[in-house]
Amino acid sequence: MTVVAPDAAEPPALSGMTMAMRQFVGNRAAVSGIAVMLAMCAAAAFAPWLAPYDPTVIDLPAKLSPPSLAYPLGTDHFGRDVLSRLIWGARVSLMVGLIVVVFALAFGVPIGLAAGYLAGRVDNLLMRLMDAFLTFPPLLLGVAIVGLLGPDIHNVVIALGIAQVPVLGRIVRGSTMAVTNETYILATRALGAGSTRIVTRHVLRNILSPIVVQLTIVFSAAVIAEASLSFLGLGTQPPQPSWGRDLSEARRYMAEAPWLFLAPTFAIMLCVMSINFVGDGLRDALDPRSWRGQPVADPARGQGA
Amino acid sequence: MFAYVLRRLVQIPLVLVVVSLTIFIIVRATPGDPVQIMLGMQTSPEAEAALRKAFRLDRPVAEQYVLWVFDILRGDLGNSIRLNQPVADLLMERFPISLKLALASIAFAIAVSIPLGVAAALWRNSWVDYLCTGFTLVSFSVPNFALALILIFVFSIQLEWFPITGIGSGSPASWREAAMPYVLPSISLGILQVAVLTRLLRSSMIDVLSQDYIRTAHAKGLLPVTVIVIHGLRNALIPFVTMVVIQFGFLVGIQVTIEYVFAIPGMGSAMLSAVVNRDFPVIQGFTLVIAMFFLLANIFADVMYSILDPRIRL
Repeated sequence: MTVVAPDAAEPPALSGMTMAMRQFVGNRAAVSGIAVMLAMCAAAAFAPWLAPYDPTVIDLPAKLSPPSLAYPLGTDHFGRDVLSRLIWGARVSLMVGLIVVVFALAFGVPIGLAAGYLAGRVDNLLMRLMDAFLTFPPLLLGVAIVGLLGPDIHNVVIALGIAQVPVLGRIVRGSTMAVTNETYILATRALGAGSTRIVTRHVLRNILSPIVVQLTIVFSAAVIAEASLSFLGLGTQPPQPSWGRDLSEARRYMAEAPWLFLAPTFAIMLCVMSINFVGDGLRDALDPRSWRGQPVADPARGQGA
Repeated sequence: MFAYVLRRLVQIPLVLVVVSLTIFIIVRATPGDPVQIMLGMQTSPEAEAALRKAFRLDRPVAEQYVLWVFDILRGDLGNSIRLNQPVADLLMERFPISLKLALASIAFAIAVSIPLGVAAALWRNSWVDYLCTGFTLVSFSVPNFALALILIFVFSIQLEWFPITGIGSGSPASWREAAMPYVLPSISLGILQVAVLTRLLRSSMIDVLSQDYIRTAHAKGLLPVTVIVIHGLRNALIPFVTMVVIQFGFLVGIQVTIEYVFAIPGMGSAMLSAVVNRDFPVIQGFTLVIAMFFLLANIFADVMYSILDPRIRL
């Protein structure tokens, strides 16, 4: 009796996840996006140790100094170090982005799954509700909610989260509907699997890529929206550092201290651009049709051999 | 198609009921009393009660809502608590300004995105394409108010080409004087639409240019310009036009930061001050109009699509 050795001539078939990883790592823009994001997250996390100065300490004799060795990005109208404020401001922006992503996930995914999987009346009801929320321009919804509840970072997060839920909900619903009609879901149901099991183990797993890609869009939208609200005076309150708020205050010193508004502008752009690179990279990596270089594993071949 | 449009139009009131109910509840469930903000500290209970009665704030919320809906059905949006003027009048003052700014922005976006999108598609994967892609990436990531500040710095403060403010104030002497203040705001506001439209046109143009009828047109010996413009661009513009309409519906409601920077008396700044002063009727009325504008633009976009592309039946 001999043990049948696995076919050695054929290289081991890579799993979908490994293939996707390889594609992602091969994408230079996406990798640099991840690198910038990680650097920003690290700067935000270690702000107390990284920032050269206290971001709120006022030093009037040093006000509006241009970039120098002592102040790499100059100082603002209170003599506060711009670089330190940028580093501390990253905390606010990234934290808001992250919490809004979690918020959108927590509400958008269940709503979308319910609408797409249950279909019929539930779908109709939930989607009309989502339609109504989509008619509010997100920023105006933010202005309304934050303006009414009071300018506070928690209210900003709630407002931006609410604005993102319908968008994610619609995407999840559409993908769920497409997947639910696939043969393998019908087969699973025929095998006697319950709805909970089908949704959590089979549907959710197959719609992960549009969700992940959308979440990067949610994140960058949240960063810009938070900056906008803070710019309008509805977000982070002074003297706390915030990119949007600092931009708003820099307006008055544009002629004499342009570095004041350029620094937060570039910080926002760098953050949004890198997360967009990551999103584009993920979209390409998770979609086998756009894979370059490596031959796409043919599911039929594995069965035939 | 008429049946479809009718069905969509019938849905509008339903969506508007949800929108208005939501805003009605948010506005009333949150702390802050418009009467106290308006009257300040020195006030008599009588004056307060009279004001409350005049704006129906003394009645139960459900009754307030029903009465408000009946007023709207009669074409009455109510009075602003703060400004002592009908909401409809304020709307007639502010809406045209926001509409003009939205039109200027979308015109800018169209004018820039068509040449960019076509060039990127024609010279795909060349430096032209990469330049366009780079430009759209920057456009996607720059916040409009930050771009506004940069433009002000360069074109108003340094070069003194364009005024910073001037929309909706005074009576401009010439067409030119009226148009100048719109230049910088519409560029700042429209930059995101430039990115969206360029990306869309690039991909739809690439798609169209790979079709068989383009090869046929080339084989017939037509001039390359004719093939690209008449056979290519005309077909690639179908999704583009639809997106223009959708983006336009969106633009009226997202001007608030730009209005803030350029001191424009539009819908966004009216909403901002109404929210700060808890001017309930203004918040409700303006939200409703913005939502309706958005919904109508979307229906219009669907209709346009089916007219432009006979393969699509509504």
